[in-house]
Amino acid sequence: MGQSDHEAIRAVLSGDKDAYAVLVTRHSRTLFRVAYRITGNEADADEVVQDALIRAYRKLESFESRANFGTWIYRIAVRCALDKIGGRKVDDESRIGDEDDREQSEVQVADPAPSPERILLSGEIATVQQAAMHSLTPTERSAFVLRHLEDRSTEEIGAALGIRPNAAKQAVFRAVQKLRRRLAPLRVST
Amino acid sequence: MKHLTEDELIEQACGEGAIDSAQHLRGCVECAASLAELKSDLAEVGRVETPQRDELYGERVWQAISGSLVRYAAPHRRWMSFGLMRGLSYAAVCALLVAVAFYAGRKWEQFAGRKSGTPQAAQSAPKKPQQPVVVVVLGDHLDRSERLLVELKHVDTANADMVPPLRDEARSLLKANRICRENAEKVGDEELESALKRLDHLLTEVADEPGGLDAEGIARIKNELNADGLLFEVRVLRSRARDQKPGLVIRLNGGQA
Repeated sequence: MGQSDHEAIRAVLSGDKDAYAVLVTRHSRTLFRVAYRITGNEADADEVVQDALIRAYRKLESFESRANFGTWIYRIAVRCALDKIGGRKVDDESRIGDEDDREQSEVQVADPAPSPERILLSGEIATVQQAAMHSLTPTERSAFVLRHLEDRSTEEIGAALGIRPNAAKQAVFRAVQKLRRRLAPLRVST
Repeated sequence: MKHLTEDELIEQACGEGAIDSAQHLRGCVECAASLAELKSDLAEVGRVETPQRDELYGERVWQAISGSLVRYAAPHRRWMSFGLMRGLSYAAVCALLVAVAFYAGRKWEQFAGRKSGTPQAAQSAPKKPQQPVVVVVLGDHLDRSERLLVELKHVDTANADMVPPLRDEARSLLKANRICRENAEKVGDEELESALKRLDHLLTEVADEPGGLDAEGIARIKNELNADGLLFEVRVLRSRARDQKPGLVIRLNGGQA
């Protein structure tokens, strides 16, 4: 397992397909983490990881040897995750519902419940947080995850999402504004 | 006091706020509380637990995707296909360049010839080693032969100075006569061939008379070889050759023009 990323890539391009296993095992967990944070779904995240690694393998000849493979595959995974949540946007919208539904969910969480329900409060909080994340557009959500959960710079976010740094910054701002409004009832209740 | 807007608070929360805003936050308890509240909100979202994947996760992913990956071609095969194409391209380009250079050279030669005249162009052309070409014009040869026969008829054998030029001329004519005779044989001109054959005989005798030409030798040649009759034949043939346009030209290297 001492083979470096670049050595593995050279081996793959020389016809040794199995050398790619080194790269897969080395980067899969990182890719899963960011994929899950963007998609919010385990099955989707697993799928994103596989899609990203297959896509990277097919583009391996275009990978520049001076670049960092980890950064490169990370960006590919972000794009795949973005595609995934963009593709199911319609489903999400129907699941999240309209403004009335949202208000209703906020009221339910904010309501001081009796003790049996109180037990489920932590689960409810997670559900609301998930709902808040799902209320963001795919770009806002990805930008927020990369900035606040993955600690990526604005430039890195722009590069990963294929947008200008200023647009990435605006996406993060919009995401924070929306999340703040969504999570306000939780803060009040706790 | 003017408090920070939501955007300014968000900028601070994202670590990208202006210096003025940061200074304001140090003096404004209300805005500092708002910022703390905002950071708390973001931290709440960050606390959402990400499912963990064990050490074998990568291997499972590899098992899942390895079947759909196509092995890259070995470098030499890729080189072969790429190199072959590149080699063929180079060869095609080289061939094209040679063809263009050849064509341009030909055109330039023609242009230079028209511009400066053929003789000068021929002089300026680089001289290449060639096989020597002797051009024999039948009419000229017969003229010279006729003169020799006339001189032989009227030679003053007492004058020793007159004989050597006769012998030298005979030797000179021998080679041209041989060419003309061979050519006459080739084209099937029996009359010409017969006359040239006898002329050849006479020239040989004059050129190579043992002991040198003297009065007795010249008389013998005249009688034995019927020099007068041969002179008549040569004159007839010369007249005939003059009427033929263009005159017969024979090249020593076997060519004919």
